[in-house]
Amino acid sequence: MTGADARAIAVTGMGAISAFGEGAGVLWQGLREGRSGIRPLRHERAADLRVRIAAQVPDGFDPAAHFPERLLSLLDRTAQFALFAANEAVAQSGLDFRAGGLTARSGVIVGTGVGGETTHDEQNRRLYGEKASRVHPLTIIRVMANAPASMISMAHGLRGPAFAVSSACASTNHAIAQAMLLIRAGVADVMLAGGAEACLSFGVLRAWEAMRVLADDSCRPFSANRRGLVLGEGAGMFVLESLAHARARGAGILGLLAGAGMSADAGDIVLPDVAGGTAAMSLALADAGLAPADIDYINAHGTGTPANDPTETRAIHQVFGAHAQRLAVSSTKSMHGHALGASGALELVAVLGAMREGVVPPTINLDQPDPACDLDYVPNQARDLRVRAALSNSFAFGGLNAVLAVRAA
Amino acid sequence: MTATPSADEIRSQVFDIVAKQAKIDVATIRDDSTLTDLGLASLDAIEVIFDIEERFDISFPEQGINFATGTAGDLVDAVGRVLAAGDQQ
Repeated sequence: MTGADARAIAVTGMGAISAFGEGAGVLWQGLREGRSGIRPLRHERAADLRVRIAAQVPDGFDPAAHFPERLLSLLDRTAQFALFAANEAVAQSGLDFRAGGLTARSGVIVGTGVGGETTHDEQNRRLYGEKASRVHPLTIIRVMANAPASMISMAHGLRGPAFAVSSACASTNHAIAQAMLLIRAGVADVMLAGGAEACLSFGVLRAWEAMRVLADDSCRPFSANRRGLVLGEGAGMFVLESLAHARARGAGILGLLAGAGMSADAGDIVLPDVAGGTAAMSLALADAGLAPADIDYINAHGTGTPANDPTETRAIHQVFGAHAQRLAVSSTKSMHGHALGASGALELVAVLGAMREGVVPPTINLDQPDPACDLDYVPNQARDLRVRAALSNSFAFGGLNAVLAVRAA
Repeated sequence: MTATPSADEIRSQVFDIVAKQAKIDVATIRDDSTLTDLGLASLDAIEVIFDIEERFDISFPEQGINFATGTAGDLVDAVGRVLAAGDQQ
């Protein structure tokens, strides 16, 4: 194995749930076809809210069809999403942790921005709204941010490192970076990593309204008429293992996680910073042993807010120089919405799909070029393009950045 | 229902809120001062909007307020428009 191969981590399974429904396959298919998962908001208080649209997991998702009743009583919607995605990823990997004697050498890290918000909101309504004197006894179990990681660990018998990571919209990428580092360090052979978010409660929706960053029409990343982000939800989980481990068992390899770069702006709590994004992308390339010219595609953070899109564009220019104009850059948030702590996971499904099928998903709703956003954003239609290596950007509120570098197997 | 405040009353209250957030003397604020000129970054502006909504018991539309280039006078006008629209309902 060369040096770069020794550092690369194999992705041998993926699973997801999103506005496109159940499975990584339907998510990728929707993105590839340039379809929008954004719909009118479904919420019992929708009439009272200014938020009109969201990218929600469809009503057809029936948790009872996937989890036995006793388990279901322990699961907030966030953990339901995470466990669903993890089960799909493990099935694809072909691993049986218990039979394979892997349990002590396997772990799980799940990124989530806020954890069990649906439960939190329900119980607070009982307490403050209905003046109930007690809350459900399983409230803590469901609310705790580590619940998704714990539930996945229990379901698959993972006895190695297991914990949650939280960095708002970069939570997934930070989680995957931690898993990669643990495998490289020899602490674990196999890690499940990804992110989950389900926080479209009345209280959180009201809080987002108050920040005045939500679009009322659609998500239009990099378009001059962009009006903000569109909230989403979902989860994506991935099976990561050392390349040697994957090859030894003859596993199908979806792609290689080649490196990660993490940085903090250490500046404004919400306004993104060119230097922070630049540092994270540069560090990811260096960690992966890739040159800027090796990158064919960037899945952008691309929220569709006035602040993010030109800042991210400038950061890409700084890192890639003249190659920036040859890259394909797209924001799939235009389709799956901003799933916050889960967004990096939905976007890694997009990157792996692009790499495997040679098709870059588009940025939809891009109909008015913005002089401050002057890259090739693959507007509105997917494009056939061989993707040998790609970056996936996540730049969070709080100035926390995490970028993954992925290359073809 | 309480009477709709006059434009001068709105201006006085809006300027008070802006001055408090920017920690400046209210006398230094003019109609054409932009929030940026007054030293209010985006998060400060969001707090100003929130305070104004609370003070007048109104909701600004989701879009249409430009924090970077908007002036103190624009805020006064916006409050007047929202109050007038409310009266017509």
